[in-house]
Parts: sequence; structure tokens; C-alpha cells
Amino acid sequence: MKHEPLHLSDEDLLLEAYGELSRRRSGQARAHLAECWSCRARMAELESTIAHFVRAHEASLDGQAPPDDGPRAMLAARLREARESDYATTPHPLFGGMSVQFAFGCLAIVFLLAGVGIWKIHGSVAARQDEATIAAINWNAVPDRNLTPGATRRLAASDVCASAPPQDWTVPATVRKRVLQEYGMAGAQARSYELDYLITPELGGANDVRNLWPEPYSATPWNAHVKDALEDRLHAMVCAGQMDLPSAQRDIATNWIAAYKKYFHTDKPIAGAST
Amino acid sequence: MEINACPRDSTTALSFPVATMPRLQGAYTELEQETLEFFVQFRRPVLRYVCGLGVTVHDGEEIAQEVFLALFRHLCCGQSRRNLRAWVFRVAHNLALKQRYADQKARGRTAGGEFSMETRIDPEMDPEERMVYLQRRFRLLAVVSALPEKDQCCLRLRAEGLRYREIARALNISLGAVSISLTRSLARLQSADRA
Repeated sequence: MKHEPLHLSDEDLLLEAYGELSRRRSGQARAHLAECWSCRARMAELESTIAHFVRAHEASLDGQAPPDDGPRAMLAARLREARESDYATTPHPLFGGMSVQFAFGCLAIVFLLAGVGIWKIHGSVAARQDEATIAAINWNAVPDRNLTPGATRRLAASDVCASAPPQDWTVPATVRKRVLQEYGMAGAQARSYELDYLITPELGGANDVRNLWPEPYSATPWNAHVKDALEDRLHAMVCAGQMDLPSAQRDIATNWIAAYKKYFHTDKPIAGAST
Repeated sequence: MEINACPRDSTTALSFPVATMPRLQGAYTELEQETLEFFVQFRRPVLRYVCGLGVTVHDGEEIAQEVFLALFRHLCCGQSRRNLRAWVFRVAHNLALKQRYADQKARGRTAGGEFSMETRIDPEMDPEERMVYLQRRFRLLAVVSALPEKDQCCLRLRAEGLRYREIARALNISLGAVSISLTRSLARLQSADRA
């Protein structure tokens, strides 16, 4: 007498669908499915439901999450920060097991004492420090794209051209500190640079660490005052309908010096340039 | 000579076998690169998962950053590399629950997920097909949101491609519990799908 084979349970079907059965049991399940139409129909239904759920699940973030580039740049900056802070506190054999931070602290005190001695002799240490700081800052007339790729808010041209009351775009102290650390300028004097938005808020730039960098005020023809003139020019052009907002944001974020040359039709900054 | 490269806030005592600072820096750079590769691969799955737990997309992004910073520290400490995918989701799960608890406390209500019904629909679909697709999607998501939380977590982790043992590790439950949970959830989804 021939017995009707037992059907596979839902759990077995699911384990087979997900490839979770052992090789032996999977072989048995496949052999059963080859013979049993009822179980095959149930399996097909199950797979259809899984496929629809997976599609619905994957679509759940559609249009809500930004692309990977910005968050990836943010994580890269945080990892660098974590590495530097760990590196600084790692004991080093050259310093007899002292942490690098502690050893450099000691060295700094030695240098400070030596500096005071030199200052007493020549009286010019402060001026030299300023020169060194400015020399370092000149590197950043155009920001590092990896650190400052630019970030925008979702605004239309009509929003940036609306005559809204002036907003306070002061950069919080914690953000300022972080930007300076990323640029290796934690010790720079505030009067030497402006912590500037790459894409100005008046053009929809965001108050975000990815949109900020220390821009030199002086000692280079391409300084913060020159960029201010470009920002005014681009804002006026957007509001006059001579260019669209995304183009203005892209041009200033890609290379603001090239944008200045393009929109002021000059290779050198114009003294007292305005809109 | 071994230099302990575990971050200060790490409670583990494992060390990273490097002898000189340049080698230490080189190793850090490699781990940074590896972490960033993981991030690109798993950022969206992590984001989808934590948003499914009722965290906003904005907070979800912050959680994703924290998860991969933690992964970097985990790798720096020379800890196990087995089953890193499950490890990532386990950390994300715990951070999401913590965030949700903080939200509930702050707002005095249950935080709702940010799952949007807006979706990219195949432009080839005619209006009738589109309607059927959206209705089916709505039904399935409604059933999922009515499931017990553990079942929802199992289902969402499975949808992200985790194997049973990875789900078990991420949620700290047994393999059998994962299997039973998924079978139960699929049965409910199927009955809703047939309706």
C-alpha cells in the first residue's frame, strides 16, 4: 500500500527558500517539492510574498536619505579625528612610555621657555608666529575638497532672494574648533582668518562643518574680502534671473577663485569690487 | 613590542601589535579605509533598519555614523572579525532602541517610524497596476507594523540579507527563535497578501 508523502511544513519551506537547511535535508525537501504540486504552489506563494515585502522594505527610504557622499565625508573626518586623538594618547617608546600628547606637552613647555628667552633678546617672537600662521593659512585660500565639499539647504531661488530679516549665521564655538582641528590650525589666531562658509548662507549654504573652512583675510590677493564680493555678485545674478541657484552653488563650491575670474572677467581681484 | 592602540574609552585590554609610530599610522589608515568601505556598503541597510524601529531619518544618519565609528574602534582593538555584518546590526539595534527611548522620554509619546508611502514606481506601470502595487505594499507594511517588535526585527534583518545565525547574533536570541519568528511573520504576511 502506497502512502501519500507528508507535506513540508511552512518552516521547512521557508528554511529551504532561504538556503538555511542542511545539505541532506535540503536534498530531501527539493525531492519532495519536485513531486508535490501542493507544496510547490505554497512555496511559490511564499516567495512571491517575500519578494513583495523586500521591495516594500527597500523602498521605505526612497527620497528620504541623501546620497552616500556627504555622510561618507563626515565619517572620514570623524575617523581622522578619532585616529589623531588616539595617536596622541598612545604611549611611545621614544618618550619612555609617555603618551605622545604628554611628551609634546613637555616639549611645548621647553619651546615656550626657549621662545621667551629669544623674545627677550630680539623682541620679535610674536611677529614671527603671526607670519608662520599666515603662511599656513595661505594654503587654504581654496578649501580642501575632502574636508570642505560644501553643503546646501533645500531652498529655491525665490527663498534666497526674499527680503527676510537678517539671520544670525555665527558659527558655534564647538563647530569652529572642529573645523580648525581638521585643518590642523587649532592654534591659529582669530584675527588672521575668517571661518567662512564655502557656499554662503545667502546662496543656500548650510550651517554644516562640511561647508566651513578657515579663509585668510590677508597676505594673498585671494582673501575673504574678495570672496565676499563674489558672493554678492552671484546673489545678485541669481535674483536677477541671470543664473540659476544650483549653478551658483556649484561654481562657488568647485573653485571660488575660478568663479570670481569667470564672473568678474578678470584674472586678478578688483579693488573694491561689488555687485 | 606591542602598543596598545585601543581608544581611551575602550574597556577592552586587547592590543594592536605594532612596533613603531609610522607603522601604527599606516595600520590606522588601512582600518579607516576598511571602515569607510563597510560604511558605503551598509549605510542604507542600517538606516532602513533603524528607521523601521521608529527612529527619524536624521537620527538614523547619526546612529549610522556612531555604528561605524564603533566598528573602527572595534577593529583598532584587534577584536574578532567574524560575523561583522551581525555585529554592525547589533550595535545599530542597541543605539536605535536607546535613541527611541530618549525620544519617547522627551516627547512623552511613542515615536513613529518615518516610513514613507512615497516611492519610486516603475513608470511602465499603468494606473491600475500602480494602484494594485501600492495597495499591496500598504497592506504588507501595515501587517509588519502590527507584528511584535522582535518579529519585525527578524523580518527586517532578513530583508537586509542576514542569515538566520546573523539575525540570532544581532538580536541575541536563539536560532530556533529566529526560525519560529520568521515562519510566524511570513504566515501573517501571506494571509494579508491573499486578502
